[in-house]
Amino acid sequence: MNLEAFKQVNCSQTKASRRRDLASYLLTAPALIWLLVFFLVPYLIVFIYSFLSTDIYDVSFKFSLSAYRQLFSGIYLRPFYLAFRLAFITTFACLILAFPVAYYIARASEKMRNMLLILIIIPFWTNLIIRIFSWRIFLSYNGVLNTILLRLGLISTPLELMRTDFTVLLVMVYVYLPYMILPLYSALEKMDFTLLQAAMDLGANEVKAFFRITLPLAAEGIFAGSLLVFIPTLGAYLIPQLVGNQRSLYVGQVITYKIKNIPRNWPMASAMSFVLLLLVAAMLIVMYAIYRKRTLAKRNV
Amino acid sequence: MDELRIENLSKDYDGFLAVDNVSLTIQPGELYSFLGPSGCGKTTLLRMIAGFEIPRTGRIYLGGQDITDLPPYKRPVNTIFQNYSLFPHMNVFDNVAFGLHVRKVPKTEIRDRVQKMLTLVKMEDQAAKYPSQLSGGQKQRIAIARALINEPKLLLLDEPLAALDLKLRQHMLIELMNIHDAVGITFIYVTHDQSEAMSISDRMAVMQRGSIIQSGLPDDIYERPTSIFSAYFIGETNLITGEVTGIEDEYVQLRCHRGNGEFFEIDSTFHFPPTLGSKLTVSLRPEKIAITRSKPRNQDDFNILRGTIEDILYVGTHTQYIVRVGDLKFRVFSQHKRVYFDEKALDWDEEVWLFWHDTDSWLINEVAEGVEASVEPRSLPQRASRKGIPAEV
Repeated sequence: MNLEAFKQVNCSQTKASRRRDLASYLLTAPALIWLLVFFLVPYLIVFIYSFLSTDIYDVSFKFSLSAYRQLFSGIYLRPFYLAFRLAFITTFACLILAFPVAYYIARASEKMRNMLLILIIIPFWTNLIIRIFSWRIFLSYNGVLNTILLRLGLISTPLELMRTDFTVLLVMVYVYLPYMILPLYSALEKMDFTLLQAAMDLGANEVKAFFRITLPLAAEGIFAGSLLVFIPTLGAYLIPQLVGNQRSLYVGQVITYKIKNIPRNWPMASAMSFVLLLLVAAMLIVMYAIYRKRTLAKRNV
Repeated sequence: MDELRIENLSKDYDGFLAVDNVSLTIQPGELYSFLGPSGCGKTTLLRMIAGFEIPRTGRIYLGGQDITDLPPYKRPVNTIFQNYSLFPHMNVFDNVAFGLHVRKVPKTEIRDRVQKMLTLVKMEDQAAKYPSQLSGGQKQRIAIARALINEPKLLLLDEPLAALDLKLRQHMLIELMNIHDAVGITFIYVTHDQSEAMSISDRMAVMQRGSIIQSGLPDDIYERPTSIFSAYFIGETNLITGEVTGIEDEYVQLRCHRGNGEFFEIDSTFHFPPTLGSKLTVSLRPEKIAITRSKPRNQDDFNILRGTIEDILYVGTHTQYIVRVGDLKFRVFSQHKRVYFDEKALDWDEEVWLFWHDTDSWLINEVAEGVEASVEPRSLPQRASRKGIPAEV
């Protein structure tokens, strides 16, 4: 091929790639516009509201830092602390419970695997509120569980199972467990199980093989699953509201009360929302950085 | 040094006998091969030695110690897996160091030993790479280094070259032999490739349906097969069935039917006392047969047949002729030695003479069912794959 022809080919390639760039912009545009209008703009409003002054029903458009000053003064930190604690424990509990399940499904025969996956997904077909209410029916003072235990004579007075912090955790884990199982499954399913034999051949017992091979290879799934559980748990409102108690208010509940109860405190609700967003964003950035470093190290040294 | 002794080892999967009462002893430092078609039980046997399968009956001794009930991580045995099974999340260094890490060997010692191993497999400058960045041959080397660093008494290789292309396979075969010489430990090599097994092994065992059909030196098995299976599976051969009509010293005479009620005689050597009148089979390697246009002069000690060339296959190193003798077809390999080619090349449908020395035909104590002189190679070995049996991987 002579140089001219080569240049031409090269040129048309860049044209083609430019066209591809344009096409990819066009294809991502709807999603970008959607996020811009329904995510970024509302958050901008929240951001602005957090710097305004309170009014009984609305806000008065006077700049004020009082919301943030109150927020960091003390009593408002407890809902944050409770939410983070709940999110950490829920995520960890989901991880511990989901791992054996995901592992078992990944190692099952193909037929069995599909059936088990459907069983994991079935709860999604029922509305979340209905599922939470069924827990209430099950756990309440005159509920199913207490009735059974009383009939069996295992207890003499009904147990106080509802409206405890543990109930919140229990229902949280119940609701978010599939979000942990599915990404873990997809990571474990890709794993070559002869690697475990190789590890054992090289002198690692079952426990060492698990921690040195299985766990690192499931890291992607652990990472994805933890995000899928941690972030929604952090802002949980519905579950603590329906099965929790008034002594432990989570940040999601407090934000709602600030808007629902009169006098309304829009700036406070906005400030709390915005701080929550910042915390989540900061965590995401750190985790993504760690993740990227890991994968980069693996791919191009 | 430690010899490996296997006694009456059996293994079954839901009633299917994968390994059927195998006993054998492998000498220290030997390079021993299990050769057989897929499903013959060679991999199962290897996995029992490694500790991944628990035998139903029988014992395995290594250097006098009974290792039958030890888990894989307590056996002084390491395996090269067919797909190498390198840990994808670790770089070359950490892969090789794995066995030492789990044994909590001091860091500085690990560094030295990994470096030494990587040098042995000529990968000393690749320590930082990840398995996904390595070629097939490089992965192979790392797998070898990762196994040998543990200083096992026994190295098991499960079809280690199957995933490589032909040239690389030949290269790695020589490399493996060099490494074997360098480390001096016992290698057990599993393969379905007869040329691989023959070229690498000190001794080898031919397996079929869970049993060892024949074991010994590679050339012994090739030249003096004791069964139709080992004659057929290793290399190519002509199998001719006939009736014993005479026994004289170390020679036996067979009367063979060529079709249409016509018979011809074959003189052969034997390794067992045949009975007069019994039906037996002669194995005759295609390269032992000479093919000429003119009648051979020397007729003592030679078997001579007249036939017609039915097919000619030129394969570079030699030419394969299919020669029809009555209803029988003989496969004949003839090298191209220019110096003899003072006449023009043999052609289709030409009448030719086939002849071979009496000692080149070899009597087997079996009747080749339905096989007269064979033409199709490798059609006889039974593939023992049935439903529900884990495929040999």
